[in-house]
Amino acid sequence: MTVGTTSVLVWLLPLAAAVVCTRLRSAALAHGFAAVVLAVATALAATMAFAVVGGTPVVGPHLTWLDLGSFTLGVGTYVDGMAAVMAVIVCALATGVLVFNAWYMHDDPQAARFPWQFCLFASAMLGVVLSDNLFLSFCCWELVGLGSYLLIGFWFDKPAAADDPAYQARKGAAARGVLEAQLSPAHAQLKAFVMNRVGDAGFLCGIGALLALSLQLGARGDVLSFANLAALPVADLAKASFLGCSGHALLVLAALGIFCGAVGKSAQFPLHTWLPDAMQGPTTASSIIHAATMVAAGVYLVARCYPLFPPEALAVVGWTGGFTCLLAATIACVQWDLKAVLAYSTVSQLGLMFVGLGAGSAAGGKDAAIAHLFTHAFSKCLLFLCAGAVIHACAGHQDLARLGGLRKRMPVVAYVSLAALLALLGMPLFSGFVSKDAILQVALANAQAAGGLAWGPFVLACSGSLLTAAYMLRWWLRIFGGEERDHDVTHHAHDPATSAKAVLLLLAPMTLALPRTIGHWLPLPHGDAHTPAMVTALALLAVGGGFAVWVFGLAEHSGRDVAAGLAKAAAPVHAACGELWGIDRLWNRLFARGLGCGVAAVVARCDLGSDDRLAGLEDPARSRSLSPSVDGLVDGLAAGCAQVGSSGASLHRGRLGVYLAVGVGVVAVLLLWCGGGF
Amino acid sequence: MGPLTACIVAPLALAAATSVAPPRAARWLALLGALLTLLVGGMAIADFAARPGADFRFVDSTPWSTAFGASFTFGVDGIGAAMLCLSGLITAIATIAAWQQDKWPRVYHALVLVLLAAMNGVFTSLDLLLFYVSWEMVLLPMLPLVGVFGGEQRRYAAMKFFVYTLAGSVLMLAMLIALWNATPREGRSVVVPHHVVAAHADASHGTLHGLPIDLGHDGPKQVHVPRGFDLRHLALQAEHWQGANFLGVTLAAFGFFAVLLACLVKIPAIPLHTWLPHAHVQAPTAVSVLLAGVLLKLGVYGLYRIGVPLFPQAAAAWAPALGGLGLAGILWGAWAALGQRDLKRLVAYSSVSHMGFCLLGLFSGTVAGATGGMVQAFTHGLSSGLLFLLVGVVYDRAHHRRVDGFGGLARPMPQFAWILLLGAMAGAGLPALAGFPGEFLVLGGAFTATGSFPWLGALATLSVVLSAAYLLWTLLRVAYGPLRHPEQAAFPDLDGRERLAAWPLAVLLVVVGLWPGPLVDALRPACELVVQTLQGGRP
Repeated sequence: MTVGTTSVLVWLLPLAAAVVCTRLRSAALAHGFAAVVLAVATALAATMAFAVVGGTPVVGPHLTWLDLGSFTLGVGTYVDGMAAVMAVIVCALATGVLVFNAWYMHDDPQAARFPWQFCLFASAMLGVVLSDNLFLSFCCWELVGLGSYLLIGFWFDKPAAADDPAYQARKGAAARGVLEAQLSPAHAQLKAFVMNRVGDAGFLCGIGALLALSLQLGARGDVLSFANLAALPVADLAKASFLGCSGHALLVLAALGIFCGAVGKSAQFPLHTWLPDAMQGPTTASSIIHAATMVAAGVYLVARCYPLFPPEALAVVGWTGGFTCLLAATIACVQWDLKAVLAYSTVSQLGLMFVGLGAGSAAGGKDAAIAHLFTHAFSKCLLFLCAGAVIHACAGHQDLARLGGLRKRMPVVAYVSLAALLALLGMPLFSGFVSKDAILQVALANAQAAGGLAWGPFVLACSGSLLTAAYMLRWWLRIFGGEERDHDVTHHAHDPATSAKAVLLLLAPMTLALPRTIGHWLPLPHGDAHTPAMVTALALLAVGGGFAVWVFGLAEHSGRDVAAGLAKAAAPVHAACGELWGIDRLWNRLFARGLGCGVAAVVARCDLGSDDRLAGLEDPARSRSLSPSVDGLVDGLAAGCAQVGSSGASLHRGRLGVYLAVGVGVVAVLLLWCGGGF
Repeated sequence: MGPLTACIVAPLALAAATSVAPPRAARWLALLGALLTLLVGGMAIADFAARPGADFRFVDSTPWSTAFGASFTFGVDGIGAAMLCLSGLITAIATIAAWQQDKWPRVYHALVLVLLAAMNGVFTSLDLLLFYVSWEMVLLPMLPLVGVFGGEQRRYAAMKFFVYTLAGSVLMLAMLIALWNATPREGRSVVVPHHVVAAHADASHGTLHGLPIDLGHDGPKQVHVPRGFDLRHLALQAEHWQGANFLGVTLAAFGFFAVLLACLVKIPAIPLHTWLPHAHVQAPTAVSVLLAGVLLKLGVYGLYRIGVPLFPQAAAAWAPALGGLGLAGILWGAWAALGQRDLKRLVAYSSVSHMGFCLLGLFSGTVAGATGGMVQAFTHGLSSGLLFLLVGVVYDRAHHRRVDGFGGLARPMPQFAWILLLGAMAGAGLPALAGFPGEFLVLGGAFTATGSFPWLGALATLSVVLSAAYLLWTLLRVAYGPLRHPEQAAFPDLDGRERLAAWPLAVLLVVVGLWPGPLVDALRPACELVVQTLQGGRP
């Protein structure tokens, strides 16, 4: 079987599994079937990876979907090292998560719905990974959005947090800064989809720019394929124009449009607020969607379109990533919900990847970002699975203030999550060490080369990394370290069932920087900045991690609450972080309530008028009243016509005087008019 | 009698037959008429998909008035075939939706059959007089269908719809007469543009649209056009309409304005759209399905068939403004939909928004845009038809349509909720569902067009945000979350009849979304010709 055929199978097998699973009523059967199919897909993807990594990319089958004469839209696959390894990761993690989920949802009556939604999502994600053109990428990109919409809203009938007594009883300090009235799976899925669409509107404009550009430069056929886009005659750019931009500016516009889509999918500032809300979904779904794959699709897309990104656009990418990295890290430091910490950590890590991308290809930015994408996928997936195990073991409790000492009750989860955590922090010997180091290295190299503003992303990334070490260790120490805090919450806890434990133990080695694990499958950037970047990374880890160990480990062990003291000392900053810097509330006010519902109410009112008017439409007394609205104007016009008609009618009521006066008047006018003629 | 004539005659005959049929049999007659139309339309579209071409097929002519040069001439190109197909499909679905019509079933189904005949007449007429008569005949059954069978304010809504659309199209009659007057008694010789010869000339018979033409030489091809109402002949004389005067403006400008007004009211484009929410809210479910599914497309079709081909210069001159009007409709409709509290009114405004894409696409003057506009017209018929059906489903159970009067219906009515999700996602233009290809092609057309169109396209992308917001927010309020009204826990899920109406549309939404190739192949040559004509009209 050729690599091309394999790639199509890897893409479509999960889709077929999704279709079959919709018909399976038994949850166990559906999970089993889907897991087997995904395992087969993993094996196929692995053969693909062995064939192309380090070798030449393979162009798979390509079909014309629509033929519009001057251009076509196609469906096809393209497999290079990046795509193949990504496909392996997606399939492998999907298989693992599905097996884990069979245990996680064993007592959920709706569990049979999970496998098909999950497979649909996996297939869409594989489509993004393996697509050979921007159009197909966009389609699958949107379907990934559908998959996440379904999975976030898995428990769609759960009430909003504000109306949920169970949530209120156990939330503790966990829900500071969130809008409880809008915190439910149903709201979260809507928010995620709509905010992704905001980015997609920009993505569409980017596609439009590339389409217009290609056609103006004389390209024909499947103009949106990556091969054709890369081969655009950039020298002729000045001849093309789009939205008032031409030449180089046009390329920047197109790149920023595509980046817009990535900002939405990868939850970067200012569109990052959907991801923490999306934690309303099942934790197993979060483990793959909001950690390892979907949110990583943005990074992947930018990497796929990397040749199209001019330096100006890359600077925007780097700054956005750096800013988001630090912003999310500050918020993660003060969260009490154990999933919220992971969510903000994801946002922060994605920001770090964009810092890497922003460094440009000269520094090796793409390699660094993709390497971090891969290592982060495993560590974050494991962290979410462990979080799921903890939540399951503690009957839904997610409050870091009430968990504690769980390493004794659930040792496997504790030490697997510690391994994943150390990988995320970039501890030597763990995979994250290699990739985080690479990101800092390319950012530093870019800063040294470009100087000035280019130092921004590097500094922001370093600050973010420093905080990452602190808040992730706080997370682990709060859950697993120390002594039991709340006996009621934790006394039932135990390690998950064998199958789930097996998943954790099988994935755990992937967090190590062993010679044959994922971290070494990609070419990593090399350069002079390597040593200073490594020293910086280790220093940040030592300072941030050491601080956390002191505050949440040693000091707390000796009975001193340093954290509370610190919070009091830096009260304004602490409060701002706790309130998510006010961004969620501001966006809600500005966009959801203002630009959305506010404008909508005004438009609706201007269109049909008030409710009062609508209620009285058949009432002759009221419908005549001119209402200040488009529809009211129409009625006013009709009423005017009726008025003219009835005035005309009043001339015909048989009053002789009127007839006489009109007759005389008309004769007089005629005489005068004709007289003028004479 | 050819198949297209049968599509008009058979529904009328069936309508007459309902008066003698037993009341319970009337619905079967309506279904029969609809399925016959669907069969013919499907056949035609399959023919165009297999052998793409911009020519008129299944042409079938019966003399009417030789004095006026009018005849019963029917024929379809790809656009007409797609619309005929849609008309049959949606009427069949609407008939199934009104299967339990218990108030005067014979009258009701007879009216639907007359409506079907009129709609088919519009989509297949190749004679302007016949087109105009069919166009106005659509209103006659619609008046009682809304005004007698409708909701509480049905008389207001029906009168508004009737007078509004009649006033919109009355100028078209003036245009008809003016065109006839502007043609000499003996007809005239015209030079036929090259692309028209390429698309329509019949080399084996040496004819063009039934007129003898000398194809043997390389020079400009001439043809002698008789006085009359044949649309194809009128289109050949576009240069003369541009040269002739009428009431102080060129005849082309007047004619285009007349067609435009009639079509903009039907589409409906803002600010001529306010009859739509009233008509939809008051109409019974099945009539809403017909209204959104087919009647709105009459306006789009009129522009493709008459507005642009007969008056290309005027159309080209107005194109940027009309593209802007399309955009305004897209955004205004979307925001208005977001602000509605009545489910039917919400879907009605979503129609205003979606139909704006048809205008934007056609007047972008690109093949992608014009084809996309027509694809959008077709697929909007499927998705809005489905959404209206589903609103009808909850209305039948709750007897109200207030968005805030529902909540958590996905628990008692899972199948309803899944299909609603499908319809909402299709409306929001999700790839792999039918709403996507049209929208994407229109945007692609606008982006690659000249002048201000790329800007209009860029602004139109906002609709992907807004449509997701108003449709999925509605889904959230109606179907998700905990059950808000305890009595709704007992609502039964879709019954057999409702499933029979909803499932075909749902399946088609997926099929057309995944594989729009045949539809686009059938539409493209005809749309290409429209675009060439429009571009030929540019100064």
